[in-house]
Formats: sequence, structure tokens, C-alpha cells
Amino acid sequence: MSPSDAVMRDPGTARPTIDRPADYLHEEHTLRSWFFSTDHKRIGLLYLASITFFFVLGAIAACLVRLALIVPDGTIFSSDTYNKLFTMHGVIMIWFFLIPSIPATFGNFLLPLMIGAKDVAFPHLNLASFYIFITGALFTLITLVIGGVDTGWTFYAPFSTTFSNTYVIPALIGVIIVGFSSILTGLNFVVTIHKMRCPGMTWFRMPIFVWTLYATSLIFLLATPVITIALILLVMERAFGIGVFDPRLGGDPVLFEHLFWFYSHPAVYIMVLPGMGVITELVAAFSQKKVFGYRFVAYASIALASVTFLVWGHHMFVNGESQLAATVYSLLSFAVAVPSAVKVYNWTATIHKGSIHLDTPMLYAMGYIGLFVLGGLTGLFLATLAIDAHLHDTYFVVAHFHYIMVGGTMLAFLGGLHYWWPKFTGRMYPEAFGRVGAGLIFIGFNVTFFPQFILGYLGMPRRYHVYPPEFQLLNIMSSAGATILAAGYFFPMVYLIWSLWYGKKAPANPWNAKGLEWTTSSPPPTHNFLNTPLVDFEPYGYENKAPEIG
Amino acid sequence: MAEAVLVGIERAEHFESIDQQREAASLGMWAWLLTELLLFSGLFLIALILRIQHPAAVTLATTHLKFWIGAANTAVLICSSFTMSGAIGLSRLGWQRGMVGCMLATATLGTLFLGLKGFEYYQDYAEHMMRFLGQPYALAADQATRLFIDVYFITTALHGLHLITGVSILLVLTVMAGRPNFLAQHQNRIEIYGLYWHFIDLIWIIVFPVLYVLNR
Repeated sequence: MSPSDAVMRDPGTARPTIDRPADYLHEEHTLRSWFFSTDHKRIGLLYLASITFFFVLGAIAACLVRLALIVPDGTIFSSDTYNKLFTMHGVIMIWFFLIPSIPATFGNFLLPLMIGAKDVAFPHLNLASFYIFITGALFTLITLVIGGVDTGWTFYAPFSTTFSNTYVIPALIGVIIVGFSSILTGLNFVVTIHKMRCPGMTWFRMPIFVWTLYATSLIFLLATPVITIALILLVMERAFGIGVFDPRLGGDPVLFEHLFWFYSHPAVYIMVLPGMGVITELVAAFSQKKVFGYRFVAYASIALASVTFLVWGHHMFVNGESQLAATVYSLLSFAVAVPSAVKVYNWTATIHKGSIHLDTPMLYAMGYIGLFVLGGLTGLFLATLAIDAHLHDTYFVVAHFHYIMVGGTMLAFLGGLHYWWPKFTGRMYPEAFGRVGAGLIFIGFNVTFFPQFILGYLGMPRRYHVYPPEFQLLNIMSSAGATILAAGYFFPMVYLIWSLWYGKKAPANPWNAKGLEWTTSSPPPTHNFLNTPLVDFEPYGYENKAPEIG
Repeated sequence: MAEAVLVGIERAEHFESIDQQREAASLGMWAWLLTELLLFSGLFLIALILRIQHPAAVTLATTHLKFWIGAANTAVLICSSFTMSGAIGLSRLGWQRGMVGCMLATATLGTLFLGLKGFEYYQDYAEHMMRFLGQPYALAADQATRLFIDVYFITTALHGLHLITGVSILLVLTVMAGRPNFLAQHQNRIEIYGLYWHFIDLIWIIVFPVLYVLNR
């Protein structure tokens, strides 16, 4: 542990980028060096490529769903095809995009950099976890090729175990396998955060992104095994007739819903928490200001990860839950709003009087805050028992969780992708195109999903593609928005790939941001740090100077 | 006494110190065991809720489980944990041959457990308890009984699967551990594996009372 030099002590000073040692991207070029790499940075990029592929698949399914809903009489696709389309959209987007999105890509790439480690604690396990992901993904792709599945992403029994005539078992096996990939990634992160921090990197000097990864990893560890067993039981029932959920075989269908949501509600926070971490990094960097109430934001992450385990019953308010249980779940669901609001107020307070730079990542962050507030507040509507009886299983719910998943997680993912793109690739993305893309996505998203709140309130149920003609106008608006949204997604995909070859070379710290990852060159050297960093400064040590005028 | 062998572990490149590596490995295993516990806990929950909601039917169903085979298996697994502890203790002392002997004894006891379990399944089969094989069903046909018996098969099969995995890994580890210099380079693998073995034992110690013993 040699004492670090002055550059290491002050992360604001950029390292000279000429004559740098070979970085992780250019050290070796063989396919082998990529596909069998145990370098967390390369594994992060492998994940990035795979989940982008799945995102495109899921997005195509979404476009087809929106296409089918343009006409009220359901003539574009048959009902069976429509059911398979929305199931494909849900399964792929949730299990193969949103859940691994930020943790497995940014988490893998950045966690060791942010805490000053050479790698995650178990690099081989990390690679294994990627291949487990790929194995699960293959099962899902095979399911799609041989004919798809129509249960919805929730696989509710007894439909999934007894009545569905589609390929439920391969789809379930795919999801079970992907679960193990999540568990192993979570395990790796927990151990890395506990044991691999560099000297001086105390818990309260860690960036908020690391805190949120920690909270997420705890959910991976504690919740994922429960869905694994629930889905194994589904497979057992469907394949061997061992009845656990089908009443005719001696089972209880609500039992499945309990086991399913015990995982799948916390899974919402697997998707949301890392996004919150990304947004905190973005807001601090582009306001050039210390995060307001750092400790509260950190604690709020842990609080969300804890409370989220106690609210799964709010998915079953109308499924014969006792009034007492429903009231308790309702109150606990309201409690989730408290740590969420702590985060939102702290972001706003961080921006307040900061020296704000409206670069692309900051545009995404601003969009996130607005959409997350809307998505969060409509969640409170649904947590209210009486209102939920009216809105349950309508498009209101669909709009609510898309505001959280797309307006939240997806925007955070894209914002983070732009923010760390120079670090990942050593190239800058084109700023003007970036801003246009962010604008398109924000507009397209709202045009797509806001009408769905109204549709749901008016009573249009989710998962139906034949609907009363008076809902057609709102549905057409929503579908029109989806085309803008699709164009918006297409934009970054093109210019980011373009920038790999033609983008400006990135300096080590293009945003003048704090945090250990910016003290390395862009892209970082293979072992991250030339000397082990020594941290004797607080996180987000931005000087709170007055904004420059002129 | 055995020849003196240097006991320790080799530092992997990305760790700063041996202690850090050792602690990371054992924390990793503990985290894995936590997820395993949750994997089983869903099944325990189903069994316990059934016991609370339908005490009479479940009590009747448990009388069809082979208590004495289960009890014998509990004893077998406790002995295997004892031999595994022996292997860990001897690995710390650096007595490689004794350690390998203890590991083989552990694997033998594990296999004995699986043999007894197989015999128990055979008896269940002979008594027409396996409805999912298309047999005529000999127990009471009410929902609670059927669900409890199904949960029994799934839980014990999942535990058996863990034991098969455990014995397989143990045999591979034993071959590796027999090589010269193993203890100097990878002593902690024995300790980490020991955690897993004790955990499989612990799961059985929950399975046995929850399924076989309560309200008997």
C-alpha cells in the first residue's frame, strides 16, 4: 500500500492522457480475451451488448402491441398472437433487460472503480454469472422461436400450470436460470462492497451509486431464491402434476401469488434503486454540488430495500385478502413514499443553486425526477384500497409502472450510459444529437403513457386487445407516442455506435466530476488503478462556488 | 504425527492481502447460504401454514412418513458434520492424510443418507403415496393432505439434490486435496466447503421436525 500521489488525492485533477499505458480495451483484441475475460469492465460491456439485444427484442414486441391496439376490434392480430406479444414484451423487458440493466452493466463496470478495487471479489464467478445469464436467455429465445408463451410475465397459476397450451416450461426454466445469475451477481457485489474497499474508503465515503448497488444486491440475495422456488413449483406442477397451486390437484392459486410477489415486488426496487443511484451521481456532477443530505440518501436506499419486503400483499387487494391484511399492506405501501420522497427532495435540493450544466445526462436526470414523481404519486392512488378496487388491472396500473420502469429506470440507464460513455469507451458522444435524443424520448414517453392513465381511469382493462370504440382516440395517441419513443431510442443506438470510431477522444474527466472512477484514464487501465488509491476526502467534494456569469 | 506442512492460502492478484481474500471467501459462502435458506423457506412456510390451517389432516398425513428412516438419516447427517469438522480441524493442523480420510468418511455418510432416502421413497412408492406417477392414491383425498405430501416430496427431493451436488463437489475436492502442496495453497477451500456441508445438514435438521415430527 504505497501512499498515493497528489493526483490520486484530488480526483478533480485530470490525469494526462498522452502516453498512457495500455487500457483495458486495447490490451488484447482476441475474441477469447473478451468472451473469457474475468475483467469486470469487459464483463460489464458483455452484459451491455446482451441486454441491448434483448431491449431491442422487447421493444419490437411493444411496438407490435401498440400496433394491435390502434383498432378497437382486434383485427390486426389474433387474440393468441396478442397474448404472446405482451407476454414476450413483459418477460424480456423485466427479466432480460430491466433487472440486469444497471446492476450488471454499470455495476460491474463501476463498482470496483468507485471503491478503489482492482476487481470484484470473485472475478471467475462474475464471468460464470454472465454465462448463466446467457443460458437462461437462450431458453427464452428458444421459447420464442418454437412458438412463444401467453401467460403474461407473471405466470399466474393455474392458467400457467394447467390451461395454457403454449411453451410455458422452457420460458420458466429460462427465468429460473437467469435468477441464479442475479443471485451470483448480488453475492459478488455484497462481498466486494464489504471487503474490497480501498484504504480510507469508509462506508460514508462511498458514492451513493455504491449504496444503491448494495441495497439492490441485498434484494437479489434475499428475494430471488423465493421466486426460484415458486417457479420450480410451477414447473413441477405443469410437468409432473405435483399439485401445489392448482386447486384440482390439491393446491392453492393465491399461494403462487404470494410467493411470486414476495420476489416481484422487491424486484421493482432491483430495477429502481440502481437508477436512483445513477441519478444521484448525475445530479451532483452536473450541478457541481455536494449531494444534499448524503447520509439520508444513503439510508433511504437501505430503507427502501427493507420496506419493499413488506408490501407484496398490495398486489392482491382484490384477490380475497382479509380486510385487516389489506389495510396493513396499504399502510406499509404508503410508507414506501417516505424514503422515495427523501430522494426526490434531496435531488432537488442538490440542484438548487448549483452551477447547472444541461448536458445530455442532466437532461435525462431532470426527466427522471419529473416522471418518477408522477409514477410514484400514482402508486399512492393504487395503494389506496378503495381506489385500487376501481383501478386494479386497468391501464392505470400499466401507465403507473411504465412511469417507474421506463420514465425511471430507462431514463437513468440512458443518462448513466451517456455520463460514463467516455469512461467505458474513451470516446465522447455527440452532444447535440444526445440532447435531441433525450428530448424525443421524454416527449415520446409522455405521449405514449399519459393517455393510458386516462384510459385506465375510464375502465380499459390491461391485456385486452378488443375494446369499446370510444377508447380508440386515446389508444391511437398512445400508439403515436410509441413511434416517437421508438425513434428516440433508435437515436442513441446509432450515434453511440458511431462515436466508437468517430467520437472525440475523451479526457480522463470530461465532466469535472468527483469520484474515484474519474481519477483513472478513459478508458481505465486493465487493473483500474496504477497505485492503490488512498481516500482521505469526503464524497462529492465539489466546491460550492457561485455560478460563472457570461 | 504427520510431516509438517505449511498451511495457508495463495493470494490471488486482485486482493491486497491474504486476510482480505480469506474473509471475502467466507462472506461469499455465507451470503450463498442465506439465499439457500430462503430457497427452502418458501417450502417450510407452506408446510407450516398447512399445519396451522388443517392440523388434523396434516397430522394424519405425517403418520404415513417413515419417521425412523428420517430419524436415522438425521443421525447420519449429524455424524457427517462431525467428520467434516474433523477434516477442517486436521486441515488447520496440516495433517493432509487424516483430512482426506475424514472427507472420504463424510462423502460415505452423505451417500448412506441418499441410500436411506432412496429406500424411503421406494416404500412411499409401494404405499401408493406418489400420485404424480399416475399411481392410485392411497391417502386421504382432501386438499390439505395432498398438498402436504406433495410439499414433502418436493422439499426432500430438493434437499436430496443439494446432497448429491454436495457429495459430488466433495469427491472432486478430495481428489484435489490429496495433491501435494494443496494445504499450502488452498487450505481455506476446505473451510468454505465445510460451511456448505454443515448447511445442508442444518436444512435437514429443519426439514425433519417440520415434516416428520411436529404433532406426531
